[in-house]
Parts: sequence; structure tokens; C-alpha cells
Amino acid sequence: MSFGRPPNIESFSGDPPALGSFPLDHLGECTHFMKKFLQCLKDNKGDNGACRHMSKSYLLCRMDKGLMAPDDLRNLGFKDLEGERDP
Amino acid sequence: MYALAVFITMVGLSYASVPLYRIFCAAVPGFSGTPGTADSSRLEPDRLVPATNFGRRIRITFASNISDALQWAFKPELREIRVLPGETALTFYKAKNKSDEDIVGIATYNVTPQKAAKYFNKIQCFCFEEQKLRAGEEVDMPVFFYIDPDFMNDPYMKDVNTVTLSYTFFNAKYAKNLAHQS
Repeated sequence: MSFGRPPNIESFSGDPPALGSFPLDHLGECTHFMKKFLQCLKDNKGDNGACRHMSKSYLLCRMDKGLMAPDDLRNLGFKDLEGERDP
Repeated sequence: MYALAVFITMVGLSYASVPLYRIFCAAVPGFSGTPGTADSSRLEPDRLVPATNFGRRIRITFASNISDALQWAFKPELREIRVLPGETALTFYKAKNKSDEDIVGIATYNVTPQKAAKYFNKIQCFCFEEQKLRAGEEVDMPVFFYIDPDFMNDPYMKDVNTVTLSYTFFNAKYAKNLAHQS
């Protein structure tokens, strides 16, 4: 696909995501966590730093419901939030 | 005679450029825009730490597009989010199948500005794989990503304050070649 073009033309071919694709949440099992996360972001004007614990809860929900391969939270960038687990 | 020798050399060189390109450009990913292979060592936990000493938050905006052949409504739930390099972030897109039959869609994405694209790493998302929505079904699609911490060390990124992620959904029936060949 990429051979034949002259060099120096910036090319972008999409890389696949590192952990693959999220299965679709057809039954809306984790929608509650998603709504809480979106509300948190609205309240904090889009500042991700204030709402990371919410995204952690969402991903934990997905893992619990089998919508995501269970993975150590540290590998997902939540090393500094370890030890907190929402009820 | 001499001219003929020069001619043959030039022709030979143009045939040699094929393996030479492969050797050179495949060995040096990122040179002149050639895409680098997905590097799983970049996902080490030590790289995924928010860079709190970075002066500003990078604004990530989200856009969506739908092919005309796809009867879905597809828009981002969040218009923008502000992140630090190394900080993993989550965002959502909402898709609804407006027709009365099951449709399979497949998405590609794009990141602008071009020079920042190599720092935008997706951990998990919904692109390049077929996604089926039943008639009338509405679903939320998450994207989990981060900006690579190397972003801080790149002088070309000094003026990059906004990065835009744009997804385009196609009808999988007509887009058989979009599934990523790995």
C-alpha cells in the first residue's frame, strides 16, 4: 500500500489499538458509570485529571461484566490511583 | 558505449530501489512519515503516569463522520477533554442504527495535526473491527487512549495545544478492505 509514493509526503496509516477493540455494551450495563463520568467532566470543564477515578470505575465495571479482558490497573495507567476501589 | 553503460546502470539502480527502500525505511520507523509498527513496549506501566510537571493540559477534541451508505447517527458524547501527557483518558461516542435492519459498520480514525499523530496512542477503541448494531439499537462506544510522554521532549510539539481525533464510520458491506491486516 505505501510503496510507490514519493518520500517526504507525510503519511498516516492508522495503527490498531494496543489492546484491541472494546466489545459493544449492547445491554447498557456500564452506562451508569459512563453517565457519572460525563457529568464529572462537565462539572470540571473537561479536566481529565479530576475525573480519572470515574474512568477507572467504568473500566472496572467493564471487566466485571465481561466486556473487557481483565487487566492490572497499573497497565492501564492507573498506578497512582491504586488502592481506591469504589463500591 | 559509455552512454549505454550509464543507461544500464541507471535502469539497474531503479530496480534496486525496491529492496533498498525496504531495508532502509522499514529499519528506521518514523523516518519521513513512514508508519512505525505498533510497539507493545510503549504500554509499560511506567510510561502511563500523568506528567504533572507539564505546564499545560493538551486539549483533545473529537469529531465524527458517517459514510452516506450507512444509516447510523454517530456523534461524540464529549466535544473535548484536557489531558496531560502520559495520562490515560476515556471518551465516548454514541451510535444509533436508524434503519430497520441490522447493519454492520466499521470505523477508521484520523488524528490531526499530522505531526502529533505519532504520540496519540490508543489502548482500546472500536476501530478497524466490524461492529454490528441491530435495527434501532443505540450504543455507547468508548475510546481509551493517552498521549505518549515523549510528547514533552519533542520541540516540534511546543505549539501543539489541540489534537483532534476524528472517527469515520463506513458500512462494512462496501468496505471489505478496511479491516486491518495484521
